[in-house]
Amino acid sequence: MIVVSNIWRPLIFGLAAVILCAGQALSQAMSVQDRIVQCAGCHGADGNSPLPNIPSLAGQPAFFVLNQLFLMREGVRKVEAMAPFVKDLKESDLDALSGHFSKLPPKPSGEPIDAALVKRGTEIAAQKKCGSCHKPTLTGDQQVPRIAKQRVDYLTQALTEFRDSKREGADTLMSGAVAGLSDADLVALAHYAASH
Amino acid sequence: MSSLMSCRHGLLIAGAIAILIAAALPAGAQSPPGFSPMDKSNPAASKQDEGLKPHATPPTVTPVDKLPLDKIKLPPGFKADVWSSGHPGGRSMVMGTKGTMFMGTRVIGRVYAITEKDGKREAKVLVQGLTQPNGLAFKDGALYVFAINKVFRYDNIEDKLDNPGTPVELTAAYNLPDTVHHNWKYVAFGPDGKMYVQVGSNCNICETNPGIHGQIRRYNADGTGMEIVARGIRNTVGFDWHPVTKELWFTDNGRDWAGNAGPEDELNRVTKAQEGASYGFPYCHAMGIPDPDVKRPNPCAGVILPAALLGPHAAALGIKFYTGKMFPNSYQNVAFIARHGSWNREKKYGYDVVIARVSGGTARIEPFLTGLLNEKTNEFYGRPTYVLPMADGSLLVSDETSGAIYRITYNGKVANN
Repeated sequence: MIVVSNIWRPLIFGLAAVILCAGQALSQAMSVQDRIVQCAGCHGADGNSPLPNIPSLAGQPAFFVLNQLFLMREGVRKVEAMAPFVKDLKESDLDALSGHFSKLPPKPSGEPIDAALVKRGTEIAAQKKCGSCHKPTLTGDQQVPRIAKQRVDYLTQALTEFRDSKREGADTLMSGAVAGLSDADLVALAHYAASH
Repeated sequence: MSSLMSCRHGLLIAGAIAILIAAALPAGAQSPPGFSPMDKSNPAASKQDEGLKPHATPPTVTPVDKLPLDKIKLPPGFKADVWSSGHPGGRSMVMGTKGTMFMGTRVIGRVYAITEKDGKREAKVLVQGLTQPNGLAFKDGALYVFAINKVFRYDNIEDKLDNPGTPVELTAAYNLPDTVHHNWKYVAFGPDGKMYVQVGSNCNICETNPGIHGQIRRYNADGTGMEIVARGIRNTVGFDWHPVTKELWFTDNGRDWAGNAGPEDELNRVTKAQEGASYGFPYCHAMGIPDPDVKRPNPCAGVILPAALLGPHAAALGIKFYTGKMFPNSYQNVAFIARHGSWNREKKYGYDVVIARVSGGTARIEPFLTGLLNEKTNEFYGRPTYVLPMADGSLLVSDETSGAIYRITYNGKVANN
C-alpha cells in the first residue's frame, strides 16, 4: 500500500485534477457548473486554494477575475497551466465565473504566518501605500486583486515575478512599486498581506 | 514516506538558507544593470486619500448606445460624431497610406486595423497577445509595432490585413531596456525620417540612470544609430513636431503621491541646440519645484523648464499640431493635447482635449473638448487618449475607456476669424 503524506496529497490530487480537466476542456460547450468544478480542482472547492503557488479566488473582485480570464484567453497573460481552460471561454462564462468567485468567502490558507515578517511587511506596505490600490483592508477593487488571506507562497512568487519583470502581460504598476525590494522584503510583504 | 519527509525538510532548509542569503545582501545587489535601485515615493507624506488607484479599462466592447457622445462639449461651430467603436482599449492612432487606421493598446495587448467597407467602418484585431503595444508608426508601407521590449515591422501591411504573417523583428537592433513600468512606448517618425522612441522612468519617483531611462531617443528606422534627444523625463507618451519650426514638442506626466496640487504635467520643447539636455526628473518638476523625496543641491540647475503646465495629475498624453483647412484660421499650428484624466488626485482633473497656442518657447493652454468629467459627482464618462488630424481637416480623438474614436468637424459660419 502506498502511503502519502498529508502535505503531498493535495498536490497529487491537484495534478490528477489538472490532467482530468485538461481532457475535459477539449470537449465542446461546457456548462458554467462544469467549469466551476474544473476550477475547483486546483483553486479549491470553496475558491480557497489548498495547493502551493496556486492563488485563492474566493472573494476576488468580479472585474479582476473577468479581466484576468480575458487576458489569458487573449494570450496576453501567459500562464501555461491555465491555457487549456481559458481558450474556449465565452463572454457569458467570464461574467458567470467572475461573479461566482466574487461571492465566495475567503479563508486563510493555514500556512504559518510569522509575526516579525508581518511587522516588517507592514512598514514596507505603509511606504509603498499598498492599501491605496488594494484598499486599506487589502480586499481589492475592480482590476486590483484581493491580497488579504491570499496564499503566502503564491504572493511571494507573484511579487518576485513583478520585481523581475517576469509577469508578462500584467499591468506594470506593480513592477514599479516593488522595484529594488529584496527577496526578504517580498516575503515580508506576502506575510503582511496574507495575515489580513 | 520517510524519504518524502526528508525531501520536504531539505527543501525547507534550502529555502531558509536562500532567504537568509537574500536578507544579507543589500537591496540593490540583485537589481539588473540600469534598474533603478528603489522607488522613493513617500505616499504617507502626500496626505492624499487612501482610496486612489488607477482606473480600470474594460476589455469588452462598449455598445454604441452607451458611448458618451451626448456628454461631449465643444466650442461653437464644432461637432462630434462617433467615427468608429468596438475596439476595447484602443489608444494610439496612425493612418496607413491606403486608408487603414491602425490602433495600439496597452493591457489588452492588441493592435487593431480599422477599414471602411460599404460606407461602414470595421475594426478587426490585427495582432494580439503582445505586451502593451502602444507604440505604432507607419512608413513606406510598413507598420512598426513597439510593445514593451519588443519591436516588430510588418511590411506591406495594408495588402495583407487578413493575414499579416510573421513580422521582421527589430527588438535586438533597438536594444531597449527590459524594465516594464512606464515602458509602453510612444513612437513616431520625425521630419528627419528618424524613428523617435520614448523610454520612460521605471518608477513613480526614483534616481534613474540618465544613460538608460527617462529619455526620448532617435534611431534610424532599422534600429541603428541611436542618439539621446532628451533626458530627465518621467514618462512622455506623446510628442510631435511644430509644423513651422520643426522643433520637437512633448508631453510629460508629473509624479504621483506628492499631493493633489501636482507637480503639474508638462509641455516641453526641444530645440536643436539643447538636444540631450535634462528636463529635470527626478529632482526638479514643473516650473522649478524641487522633489520632496529625491533631493540634490540646486535641483533645477541646468534643467530646461517647460513651455507650459498641463495640469495636476492630468495625464497629458497625445499631442498633434493642426495644419488642416477645415477648422478656423485661428487653429493653424495649434497643438491639440488629449488629457487622459487623473487618478492620483482626490478631485478628478482632465478627461478632456486642450489646445496649446505656441509662441516661441512658451505656450498658452485653452479648453477645447470638455464634458466628459462631472465635477459635481467626481465621475468621468470617457478618457481622451490620443488625437489625430485627418487629411480632410477633421480631428479624431480616441477614448480608451469606451473603445471608440470620435470625429470632430467644423461647419461654423464664422470661418477665417
